[in-house]
Amino acid sequence: MSPRAADSAPLAVQTTGLGKRFGRQWALAHCDLQVRPGEVLLLAGANGSGKTTLLRLIAGLYKPTQGSMTIYGMDPDQEKLACRRTLTLVGHDNYLYSQLSALEMLQVWTRLGGLDLAEEQAVELLREVDLDDRRDYPVGGFSAGMRKRLTLRRTRLEKPKLVLLDEPFSALDAAGQNLIEEWIEGYRTAGKTVVLASHNLPRSTKLCDRAILLQQGQMLWQGTGNELLDHVGTTV
Amino acid sequence: MSLLSQAMTVVRKDLLLEWRGKGRLISVLLFGVVTLLLFSFAVGPDSTLLRAAAGGFLVLALLLSSTLGLSESFRVEQEQRAIEGLLLLPVDPIALYYGKTLSNTLFLMLLAPVLTPVGLILYSVQLDLKGLAVLLGLWTLAAAGLSAPGTLYAAMTSRLQSQDVLLPLLLFPLVIPVLMGAVKSTTLILTGDPMSQVGSWATLLASFAIIYWSLCGLLFPHAIEEGI
Amino acid sequence: MTRQFKWDSGFGLLGLLLLFIGSYIGLFVAPAERYMGEVQRIMYVHVPCAWNAMLIYMLAFIFAIVSLWTHRPKWDAMTTAAAEVGIVLNALLLVQGSIWARATWGVWWDWDVRLTTSLIMLLLFAGVLALRSFVHDSGRRATWTAIATIVAFVDVPLVYFCVRWWRSLHQVQSTPDTVAPMMVVPLRINAFAILFLAIWMMAQRARVELARGRQENVAEPERLAPIGGSSHD
Repeated sequence: MSPRAADSAPLAVQTTGLGKRFGRQWALAHCDLQVRPGEVLLLAGANGSGKTTLLRLIAGLYKPTQGSMTIYGMDPDQEKLACRRTLTLVGHDNYLYSQLSALEMLQVWTRLGGLDLAEEQAVELLREVDLDDRRDYPVGGFSAGMRKRLTLRRTRLEKPKLVLLDEPFSALDAAGQNLIEEWIEGYRTAGKTVVLASHNLPRSTKLCDRAILLQQGQMLWQGTGNELLDHVGTTV
Repeated sequence: MSLLSQAMTVVRKDLLLEWRGKGRLISVLLFGVVTLLLFSFAVGPDSTLLRAAAGGFLVLALLLSSTLGLSESFRVEQEQRAIEGLLLLPVDPIALYYGKTLSNTLFLMLLAPVLTPVGLILYSVQLDLKGLAVLLGLWTLAAAGLSAPGTLYAAMTSRLQSQDVLLPLLLFPLVIPVLMGAVKSTTLILTGDPMSQVGSWATLLASFAIIYWSLCGLLFPHAIEEGI
Repeated sequence: MTRQFKWDSGFGLLGLLLLFIGSYIGLFVAPAERYMGEVQRIMYVHVPCAWNAMLIYMLAFIFAIVSLWTHRPKWDAMTTAAAEVGIVLNALLLVQGSIWARATWGVWWDWDVRLTTSLIMLLLFAGVLALRSFVHDSGRRATWTAIATIVAFVDVPLVYFCVRWWRSLHQVQSTPDTVAPMMVVPLRINAFAILFLAIWMMAQRARVELARGRQENVAEPERLAPIGGSSHD
């Protein structure tokens, strides 16, 4: 659980007074977050507590109403594309085009992400998520779990340093959830930083180095995964 | 990956989606045919009147169909928030804009070869192959002119309430130069162009397209800064 | 309760005064035009409205660029104010133009080049305001208003040239040299009068927009106390 980076290395994520307002409603406020490189951080909290907002702010999908943020020392306003290359997000949506096949979808993402994959390599990637036999089927016909696996597969294409996962275990069966656990462990081994938001505390607390509890859009509690379980029980 | 290759990946993706979901193209074409029919009913079976107004009716039908096509082009992006998936990749938004605008232009270009013969038949207009080729070329310029602001506005309005009203409201007054240029040049081709004015109108269409392809390309990254 | 005399009230008062003077001269002192007679006197409000509508739209364009550059609410408020005031002047000039057309040519609308362009301009900028009314996030609303204003304004010269090629019926534009001196005076007075009134209206409208923005800008909630847990890093 010890920090991997030397003290002089920039934090993976550093936010100062970060806040986001939608209309008259503050979804996130007073967020002072520091995520060390190589850390696995869990964001816990009820629906509407601000976890998704925070992840989307870090990913650059929202502009903050208040405060500032750096990603590995970079200012997302000044170095937008560089920040995008550094991170990846899997959110609530699947980002899929229903009429493309799994293989075609992967190829669109890889080409736009700057990778040139041969078809065999793409099929191999699909095999990792048990989708190689469905590679030519339109994703519109996939089950929720299959779509989730394809979208998650995307996170391993881009070789990002920072992986943001919003409810990665939802819509997956036990086998799928085990696969995600393996991946998260794999990210940790590879020195990547993971920030995940999850209601599935039994699994996510096992994986994380640190946990933060959000309530009403503010960070109210920090501790280890086990301490979180003691604090709130097994679900939030 | 260069801007051009990113844009071409977007175009390929859109063309593939278009091919798979032919329903969009067919529905828009049918809408165009219905519009041509409605115009004839509005005027009545006076063939002289219909022939004189054929250029105008044809271009109007193309314009109305184009707006439908443009708003549909972003509906597919919003279905499963696929556009957000693209925005999360290190894709230059300018490449995204030009890719989308090019695919919309290609889509709009496909309308003319179908609607033009239907219009010529309904309005009893004779046209030789050379005239038809010139007409289709002019429509290509018009399609380019429509797509540039059309793609920008379709993106901006894609998640707003009353998108169906807002997009035409924003677009129609803006593209009046395209409408006029297309109508005038089409009418000249259909009825004769003794003073060779088609060239001037074609220049207007090309100028509009160049101006708006440049301007909207500059503005698109700002438009999507806070998400679409 | 004292009210601070705001700078724009000065413009408003001066504008009203000048409008009164200019209109008086235009209606009662300036000679009737040789061919059009008394009907021509509508020019003393029509032309100033036209000049100022164009000027205010240009200001909206400039404010929009600054708003897009700086993302400051002040410039968004000024863009909106200029667009609205421009639309008011634009609508006025269309009504006046219609009245003039009716009196001169017997028809309410004759596809005159400048009137047709004005009608299209009105629709262009009305579209900007319509877009604005559907966007609830203030940041996005400001950005999109600026974008739509820039796109609309760039279209204006294109529309003008297009309509001119398409149709030309308007009489040759009278420069002050071809107009009797006593006609130039009320024209210029009213031009400034309407400009000052427009500035006053824009200032009012911008203030309302900024106040609305401040009302939307609900302050950040108070920081909640942490509820225990181990210390951080």
